[in-house]
Amino acid sequence: MKKIVVPGELLTAERKRPGEHVFMQNGKLYSDVIGILDDKPGDVSVIALEGRYVPRMDDVIVGVVGSEKATGFMVDLNSFTQSFVSKKDIREQLKPGYIISARVLDVNELKEAELGQIRVFYGGEIISISPVKVPRVIGKNASMLDVLKRGTNSTILVGRNGWIWAKGGNVQLLIKLVEKIEREAHLENLTVKVQDFVANANKSVKPQAFAENPALEERKAVEKLDKELKGMVLNNESDSNGS
Amino acid sequence: MAAKKKEEKTEFVNKQGKRLDGRTTDQVRPIKIQVGVVPRADGSCYLEWGQNKVIAAVYGPRECLPKHTASPYKAVVRYSYRMATFSVPDRKNPKPGRRDIEISKVSSEAFERAIFTERFPNTAIDIFVEVLDSNAGTRIAALTCAAVAVADAGIPMRDLISGVAVGKAGGKIIVDMNKFEEDAPDAVDIPMAILPNTEEIVLLQMDGLLSKKEWLEARGKAFEAIKQVYELQKQALLKKYEQPVEAAENGGVVQ
Repeated sequence: MKKIVVPGELLTAERKRPGEHVFMQNGKLYSDVIGILDDKPGDVSVIALEGRYVPRMDDVIVGVVGSEKATGFMVDLNSFTQSFVSKKDIREQLKPGYIISARVLDVNELKEAELGQIRVFYGGEIISISPVKVPRVIGKNASMLDVLKRGTNSTILVGRNGWIWAKGGNVQLLIKLVEKIEREAHLENLTVKVQDFVANANKSVKPQAFAENPALEERKAVEKLDKELKGMVLNNESDSNGS
Repeated sequence: MAAKKKEEKTEFVNKQGKRLDGRTTDQVRPIKIQVGVVPRADGSCYLEWGQNKVIAAVYGPRECLPKHTASPYKAVVRYSYRMATFSVPDRKNPKPGRRDIEISKVSSEAFERAIFTERFPNTAIDIFVEVLDSNAGTRIAALTCAAVAVADAGIPMRDLISGVAVGKAGGKIIVDMNKFEEDAPDAVDIPMAILPNTEEIVLLQMDGLLSKKEWLEARGKAFEAIKQVYELQKQALLKKYEQPVEAAENGGVVQ
């Protein structure tokens, strides 16, 4: 079991490189948040267990279009402020309420995100999870995401801001799985547990046939888009430290 | 004269060193802390400190509205201390009075020191504390509770804030006074909160007068008591992440 630390807890008095959520005081290193201690020789960091989304460069996020302005749109990305997207940068016509995915191109000193590579997603649902637990939804080499996709047969896009867009398949099961991940994010062998959960759930419930989905054509189109996006998501998760 | 004779009879600490409620002079009332009691909030905490009952909820960092109150250099900490109408024997007027506003101000200043506010410019951190039952020392109980709630919200902070009220009653320095001791004729009440790692004082108020010697004794006793409170706060935070009950295996949702 990994050690959980609280804010202000002494991590080490040795000379180490302070990583995320670590600060130095009187030459000693302390944690500034409740999280899991990641103590390596040479550097020490804390993986937060709680917290809000702070935009970072190159994050892929799922956002919701808010109000329309004269030259662009405000996009809610589950952060402190909404982000502005200029109409010049988007090919498709947006409307308030549309779900989009975007990449954070730049973050200014007020932690406001500049968005680019905007894609629109039609239909589907947004499932929210604590942003600090997103690395666990993806897993090492996207192992958890694979389990979720195979188990629920849905098209899934995980935003780094804690919003997960899902469409088709067994979304109800997916919601339960995400809840489980959120609840047990600090425990080990989570992927195995989720796998068992999926197997159990699929045993009792008859698998939904593809024919039940009336918009099969649309689904295929979305899947194609999803394949393209997979590259983006993988890039995103390589810098996150989900273990 | 009659009143004065009565005073002399009241003995706040007896010869065995026991107080009227059976505690020793440096013993804190029993504390119970529970984390995550308000699911809607980013962080929350419920605390019982003797007879005091306090609930705290934290939201943020979030957009600071109205916008002219925001600072482009740091997050604004908005702390709201309120007492429920039924928390005192006579009904408390729910309108925030002089006392509520003062406690909110000094407590928010304590948090501005503890939280890394400069990491969240243009935002506000809202801390709401409601006192449900009171028996002396509620501002410290509220602060202690709020500190745990802020940590539960995942807001980066230098340290948890822990505190205790020390004072003098019947000529003796005692820790964590209850209402009866606080109402003693010679009572001195010092609510005190520190960042335990550096022993930096973030809240210090005094009602009454003490000599330098008495103050040093009071401070020493307070620091000892605060260490106990700090340990309880830590334990409460860690308790949330103990192994959860595996009740959701068959697709059920645990609430």
